[in-house]
Amino acid sequence: MITPEAMHLAESMAHYALIVMAIVYTLRLRWFLGFAAGKERQAPTGAEDTTPKKGSMYSLMNIAMPWAMESTRKKPFFYMQFVLFHLGVVSGITLSFTIPFAPEFTASPVVHLLFKIFLGAACLVGFMRIIRRMTDKYVRAISTPDDHFAVWLLTVWFGLAFFATDMAGGWMQYIYFWMTMFFLLYVPFSKISHYLYYPFTRWYIGKTMGRRGVYPIRRGRVAG
Amino acid sequence: MSVQTNGKQRSHKAEMALKRMKSKLNRQVVGSLVGCVHCGMCTDSCHYVQTNPGDVTYAPAWKADRLRKIFKREIDWTGRVFPWWVGAKSVFSDEDLEELKDIAFGKCTNCRRCTINCPMGVDFATFNRMLRGMLVSVGVMPEGVAVVSKDQWEIGNQMGVLKEDYLDTLEWMADEMQIELDDESAQIPIDKKNANVVYSINPREVKYDPRTISDAAKIFHMAGEDWTMPSEGWDMTNFGLFSGDDDLGGAVAGMLYDKVIELKGKKLVISECGHGYRSTRCEGPNWAKKDVPFEMESSVITMLNYIKEGRIKVDKSRNPQPVTFHDSCNNARSCGLFEEPRELLQLVCEDFREMYPNRAENYCCTGGGGAMSMSEYAGRRLKSAKVKADQLKATGAEVVVTSCHNCVDGLSDCIKHYELGMEVTQLVNLVANALVIPEKPVVVPVEKEAEKVVAHAESLVNRTILIVDDEPDILTFFSTVLEDNGARILTATDGEEAVELAMREQPDLITLDINMPGKDGGWVFSRLREEKATSQIPVCIISGKPELRRLIYERSVPPPEGYVDKPVDEAMLMRNVRKILDLSKRDQTHSVESN
Repeated sequence: MITPEAMHLAESMAHYALIVMAIVYTLRLRWFLGFAAGKERQAPTGAEDTTPKKGSMYSLMNIAMPWAMESTRKKPFFYMQFVLFHLGVVSGITLSFTIPFAPEFTASPVVHLLFKIFLGAACLVGFMRIIRRMTDKYVRAISTPDDHFAVWLLTVWFGLAFFATDMAGGWMQYIYFWMTMFFLLYVPFSKISHYLYYPFTRWYIGKTMGRRGVYPIRRGRVAG
Repeated sequence: MSVQTNGKQRSHKAEMALKRMKSKLNRQVVGSLVGCVHCGMCTDSCHYVQTNPGDVTYAPAWKADRLRKIFKREIDWTGRVFPWWVGAKSVFSDEDLEELKDIAFGKCTNCRRCTINCPMGVDFATFNRMLRGMLVSVGVMPEGVAVVSKDQWEIGNQMGVLKEDYLDTLEWMADEMQIELDDESAQIPIDKKNANVVYSINPREVKYDPRTISDAAKIFHMAGEDWTMPSEGWDMTNFGLFSGDDDLGGAVAGMLYDKVIELKGKKLVISECGHGYRSTRCEGPNWAKKDVPFEMESSVITMLNYIKEGRIKVDKSRNPQPVTFHDSCNNARSCGLFEEPRELLQLVCEDFREMYPNRAENYCCTGGGGAMSMSEYAGRRLKSAKVKADQLKATGAEVVVTSCHNCVDGLSDCIKHYELGMEVTQLVNLVANALVIPEKPVVVPVEKEAEKVVAHAESLVNRTILIVDDEPDILTFFSTVLEDNGARILTATDGEEAVELAMREQPDLITLDINMPGKDGGWVFSRLREEKATSQIPVCIISGKPELRRLIYERSVPPPEGYVDKPVDEAMLMRNVRKILDLSKRDQTHSVESN
């Protein structure tokens, strides 16, 4: 059994890591925003009911609109994997707070079951992603050691979190907190930090495409 | 010359290319460079991938990584500290730059299809253009790109059309229009101040497809538009879009904007050209770093408005054949111009059939991004065109319509290569064909009409015309028409016979088919121009394929005196023959006077 002091240390380290991550992210954002944004001087084109703002909102929201892009529309199974994987991330992070600060919440049967479902599914998807990254010729060709490590790291972390939900004070929970600490320290330096840039890339492409009347995407009757 | 960097020698060119990259980075581009998660969702969206299964070097993310690796190694902190871990790698040698050239120019048409399919919003096409710009800044580019860019820098238009040739073509088109409409007020006004519309075109129209100019002029005239064409700064195309050279882009767009301001034009109408529209209407103000004080619109919108406002009347039964529409990537995916052409097509064609996928999701014609000027990649281009060919075939249409000159060439090549037997045309041609022109209530006294016929018949008396064509039907048709008008006719069915007859008989005019077996029209034309005995004989090129005009124009000899597109009717043939003979007579008079 892990002593309460050791567990407390692991939990605290994970939370301190979160602070470090926030500091590194701040520096990252400062660096990113140091690049001047390109200015759009053109008068709007395309359909009159499209605007830069509408385009940006559409662009930001298309994460929740699998029909909006051909790439997600034609691969609904892959899109489902994406959703489960990211729900797993949210669950894993939430768990690192609910275990120490709201154990009764985590112990509630419904919440407990939801954690299990999301983390279990995310872990399964993680394994599928590992296999895909190693076997899909195109994905393998673009993968760096960081890409491989990131998906392994998350998959193992999901697995630990899965077991951490029902082993209060046990080894799994202990390892899970140390792993969370490592994960949070690693994230800002890896491709996992993509979500930091996501709002910017989607906002800017949406603004441009909205000004030009391309977003929201219009399709003729049936797309092939 | 090389520079020592982190213990490695770097060539001067590589060093300069990196400097250029650093100077061009903005937040949008950096976001795209750091935002990719290597998910591979963009892979299938690319027509190159679909036609080269298994070749990872065509995958958008793989291609994008060539620049991303450099960015990470040179700019991004993780790449600078742990290059191996994040796949960071810079460029050091000229060979590295050549490899990048092959990818940036030869494996991507910047069609932006992967961009709209990226869940992260990574705009690959924009930074592939930036990569091109980096390479161009140090002179690493396909030869075709260098030649076209040079023409646009030095002559002001991307095909090196001289001012006098441009003005001659406009005059010729105006004359044709006057004859066709039987209306002397039908003009192409040049440099008219305060006009409502200033019309800008693609130099390809002057060189290979002047019919689009006369068709547009006819539409403006019938609409009663107060319009003009500029004598300079008329090229709305912009090779800066393809080469990634923002300086060229800004200079070319600026020239056009300045001319409209000088003429005090109210609106700039841009003829049908995808990259021209995007460059002039959308990107130009950004490149030129100036706000444009007048309105700009595509001629597609102008024509549609004329019909909606009742300024022109059209009869769709004149375009009965089944047509489909190809969305130019630059028009649709980058400028949102996709509903208007469809609306217009429904008004001027009887049988419009949609192509799938379409609009912003359409596939590139495969000739985009300047690919038509890069002959070294023609094999790859045509292979990738299989996707487009399948799309076209599935429509069952006989005619594919597009609003882009680049696409006209790309689609023509695709159709020829995959033997689809389709025709490519533009909206302006269909609208002009559907135009309802009110007949003039002219009463011609019988005796005067007879005099007119005699006068016409006599107009070719004592003229010898050599007709060169391998098709017996054309030979018979031309011979009959021209003989009926009093000409003496010589005929030749192949190139060598044509040259021999021309040298021996010294005809007053030669009508020359471009597409003949053996020695083609291009060869015959060169020989005629090079031989002293035949160099002054006027030549009228006859062709069923406007794109073949390059066989003539790419030769370093004076251009022909006229062009006639097949199918040719009697009136068209006689109009052109008379015009060329009149012009030739006028030239001779001028030269005698000046002597």
